[in-house]
Amino acid sequence: MKGQEKFDRFIQKHPHSHRFFFERPHVTRRDFFRWAGAGLTGSVLAGPLRAGEASKPLATPINKAKNTIFLLLSGAISHIDTFDFKRTQDTPLDVMKPETFSGIEFPAGIMPRLAENVPDMAIIRSARSWALQHNLAQTWTQIGRSPASALGEVAPNTGSVVALEYLSRRKPTDTFPTFLALNSGNAIGSGYLPSTHEPFRINPEANGLPDTNNADGQTRFNDKYAWLKQIDAHRTSSPNSPDLVDYDKFYNNARGLMFNPVVDQAFRFTTQESQRYGATGFGNACLTAGKVLAADQGTRYIQITLGGWDHHQNIYTALPPLARTLDNGLSALIADLKSSGQFNQTMIVMMGEFGRTVGRITGQQGRDHFLQQFILFAGAGIRGGRALGATDETGARSATMAWSRDRDVRPEDVEATIYSAMGIDWTTIRYDDPFGRGFEYVPYAREDVYGPIHELWS
Amino acid sequence: MTKTKKFAFGAVCLLAGSGLVLSWAQEPDELEVNHADCVLFSTKGRELSESGLNAESRRRFRLSQLTEEVLAASATKNLKREVIPGGSRTNIFQELDKMGTIDSHLFRAMQDAGATPSAKTDDYTFARRVSLDLTGRVPTYERLVQFINNPSPDKRARYIDELLETQPWVDKWAMFFGDLYKNVANNTQVNKYNEGRNAFHFYIRDSLAVNKPYHVMVSEMISAAGDHNWERGELNWMVNGQTTGGPVQDHYDQRAAFAAEMFLGNAHFNCILCHDGRRRMDPLSLWGKSETRLESWQMAAFFGRSTAQRVAVSQTPNLGYYRIVNNNNADYPLNTTTGNRSPRQPIGNIRNVAPEYPFADGGRPNPGEPYRVALARFLTNDFQFARATVNYFWKAFFGRGLVDPVNQFDPDRLDPDNPPPEPWTLQASHPRLLNELARDFINSGYDLKALMRQITNSEGYQLSSAYDGQWKAEWQNLYARKMVRRLWAEEIFDAIVQTSNVRNSFTVPGMDPLSWTMQAPDSRTPGGNLGSFLDSFLRGNRVDTERRTDGSVPQVLNLMNDTLVHTRTRASGAGNTASLARQLLNKYTAANNEALVEEAFLTVLSRPVTADEKRPALEKLNAATATATATRQQRVEDLVWVLFNKVDFIYVL
Repeated sequence: MKGQEKFDRFIQKHPHSHRFFFERPHVTRRDFFRWAGAGLTGSVLAGPLRAGEASKPLATPINKAKNTIFLLLSGAISHIDTFDFKRTQDTPLDVMKPETFSGIEFPAGIMPRLAENVPDMAIIRSARSWALQHNLAQTWTQIGRSPASALGEVAPNTGSVVALEYLSRRKPTDTFPTFLALNSGNAIGSGYLPSTHEPFRINPEANGLPDTNNADGQTRFNDKYAWLKQIDAHRTSSPNSPDLVDYDKFYNNARGLMFNPVVDQAFRFTTQESQRYGATGFGNACLTAGKVLAADQGTRYIQITLGGWDHHQNIYTALPPLARTLDNGLSALIADLKSSGQFNQTMIVMMGEFGRTVGRITGQQGRDHFLQQFILFAGAGIRGGRALGATDETGARSATMAWSRDRDVRPEDVEATIYSAMGIDWTTIRYDDPFGRGFEYVPYAREDVYGPIHELWS
Repeated sequence: MTKTKKFAFGAVCLLAGSGLVLSWAQEPDELEVNHADCVLFSTKGRELSESGLNAESRRRFRLSQLTEEVLAASATKNLKREVIPGGSRTNIFQELDKMGTIDSHLFRAMQDAGATPSAKTDDYTFARRVSLDLTGRVPTYERLVQFINNPSPDKRARYIDELLETQPWVDKWAMFFGDLYKNVANNTQVNKYNEGRNAFHFYIRDSLAVNKPYHVMVSEMISAAGDHNWERGELNWMVNGQTTGGPVQDHYDQRAAFAAEMFLGNAHFNCILCHDGRRRMDPLSLWGKSETRLESWQMAAFFGRSTAQRVAVSQTPNLGYYRIVNNNNADYPLNTTTGNRSPRQPIGNIRNVAPEYPFADGGRPNPGEPYRVALARFLTNDFQFARATVNYFWKAFFGRGLVDPVNQFDPDRLDPDNPPPEPWTLQASHPRLLNELARDFINSGYDLKALMRQITNSEGYQLSSAYDGQWKAEWQNLYARKMVRRLWAEEIFDAIVQTSNVRNSFTVPGMDPLSWTMQAPDSRTPGGNLGSFLDSFLRGNRVDTERRTDGSVPQVLNLMNDTLVHTRTRASGAGNTASLARQLLNKYTAANNEALVEEAFLTVLSRPVTADEKRPALEKLNAATATATATRQQRVEDLVWVLFNKVDFIYVL
């Protein structure tokens, strides 16, 4: 596997971009301490993002998706018991009931509805995580780089970058946040980007978006809101202060969500609707995601988290019901996206933070953390009904690779794929980061070490 | 540092849940860290990288930026500021010799840097600031007016004394210490149940209520033994250090890590418990980069002769309490290959590590002395204990520590008479001030109230956040003006309750009903709608999410529309017979709308209304008649709503 070896050699030479600040070519160590000693560093005053502060475009995004739904299966779903199904000595075949759909063996016993959606799925099986610790790997997945890297701690969620890039595309009538996080209280935030691009976090409830109606009614509310703006309008727009400019935006955005039948329509649901999705919290999140996208009010990136997959114990009693929850929610979402016409413009990406051990189950009847994993893509014109890449007999390592780079797919590549699909140049570098060293949307993208998986569309 | 394989920290913190390792960039003697939540890579991990050579980059002047913008938004620069006797601010540089610890250092540093301090803050701003900072509450209207009208020159000092003796002072600092000691009912490692958490909470409250010397309180927590953690709150500090899924050494390590962070301000110590500092801590900590794991074990060994034993009370509901038992087990054995930290194996012929305090003057337990009693002695006598503590409080009152972040002290960069070698710099912005403040604290008998009194009485604390003249952002770390801060979630809600005079009541299991959210025993209660309100203001969860002050749309929706706020703007309805709106309407007729508006601003924002704010208010109130679209009652209710939503309501200026 030439691609793999070449990649491994590069990564050995250039470990994840946590190279220390003063080793970047344009700033010497001497410079840094001279500046630090003087107490002044011009670029340190993190101003707002000005035009011309990003690098020149280098790559052509494939631009196939209007929206992205990112499903994080936190706890780390077992790949060999789901989307990279393997028959092991312990696999309860009577529960799993594996069948072959489009050449893919799929546990229809635990995910009967999704079995019908296999033609929509492109499942990457030659994928590998970098680390086996939940927090670390979940963060890595959401920011598309090592959290321990030099900019890792200020790196924004992929969704926040999308929100930033799409800021100029928002219509005046768009009232929904660009980046919506459902059941994702622990979602990584906007990092160093202005807090306007924070994920809007809600756990969907039948009554809709909480606190979007004022008990005084619209007329009186508008009146007092105008009064507030009148006396708090002394804000001078300071270029050095993103925090409070955002504060004003929060009020404007909040106001936009109020007394808004479109909001109510998108965020409220009936018992019947919820039941169609399995009547679970996850199901409600999927339901809301579909409705929000159908409302077309500016939301472009939705993150949904379904946790509970950390099956160190009793995996074959614990996993099936959770798989059912996934099955009910995701299949209904795909169906509704199709009927609302959103499916062909919405890319679904689904992954855990890593996989789980293969072969025999442990002494606690479970599976432990494991680097090999799968990543599922669907929608947005992606050619489904296939697996890209394959693992060996047990699912431990990649046997054939998914793409022309001829190596394992990594979270950095997933991030690049999302950007490319959304029409964003994944090789962009922004020069407005607080370290003044340049924030790469995807690490080493300019060196073409990581990149989008365009094979998904061919 | 070689070009190929150096890492800031971790990135090599791998798990070997099943013995697998990462396939890339590994040196032969690289340690693997075993599974569970290595603290470095939680959300706290972000902070841990900010202390070293590249310190002060991201958050450098954020406070300064925030201060400027909040003031601009709140229109208080149009507030008429009283002239403080004493004249121009440059006079202050002539007074340096007459000043106390804090002011002599702060103003001398400003003078050396050519920075002009802001003016002294006016009485209104001072009253609100010190009341919130000390007690988490805004002053009442009556108390504020009394304060303003008081002619005596020492009224500020008297007000401080008064605030220190209130019940809300206990409430606020119990919340503060609850955060610091991570007091929760349960987390992924140990379940103290509501009973244990409440007991710990009450222990903290009781200690504060008698102003227990802080070194006594910390000694009690470190050395506590016996039954029963639901009854003796101090036992819970030890219980908190319990871990799961690993050998007993994991407990010892966790307790040592907590002690180092909470009492010595040194969270990097936690890193050394997994691996030597060499090649990992190099850019982060001068002390850390030469520390060895063996030295960290010498500290952990102090916890090696105690166990936390769980005694089951019932199965359903699942309940149990803990007792802390001392024993004579062999000293910290080096014999683990699994658990939450990397393998511990003999070093040469060291198979057990005896306790030896790895800081200050060292120290070993006396013969027959319980190990943790000895540790309490060494730790509380350690100068760093005083220094870390005063620094935590400095941050609470000034917005950033003299060493910041406050849990990333680098012990080798603190002595101005022995500065570190280049390129390292002294860590504190004011190293001599920090040390003197620590000495004052020790001399006071580790008296927390004395420390707070000292801080709030200083000129530095009482500077205005408004600045006349050309401000430079880099003066932020000279404290040349006071920085604003956003109120805690609990302060915001309690201010709404207090100023509206509409009571609140909520229950927490095991406690009598509470009226103030600042009295909650942890930041994950209450739940429900009130909990959501508090959560939207990011009160943290004491486990992996700290308190934050970021804004968000849900916060705004809460302030504008939530029933908890809405009902408190009303002049009528059940529970509102004495609400602010009702009282204002009763007290002032339509002929006195101006006085009504003035009192409203004084009550909710603790300051006079400005001309620009008064004009629209009077327009609306004067136009409100019984037949107009908005009645007078409605206008007054709207005014209260507007005040709750003003930016200077949720910020301390």
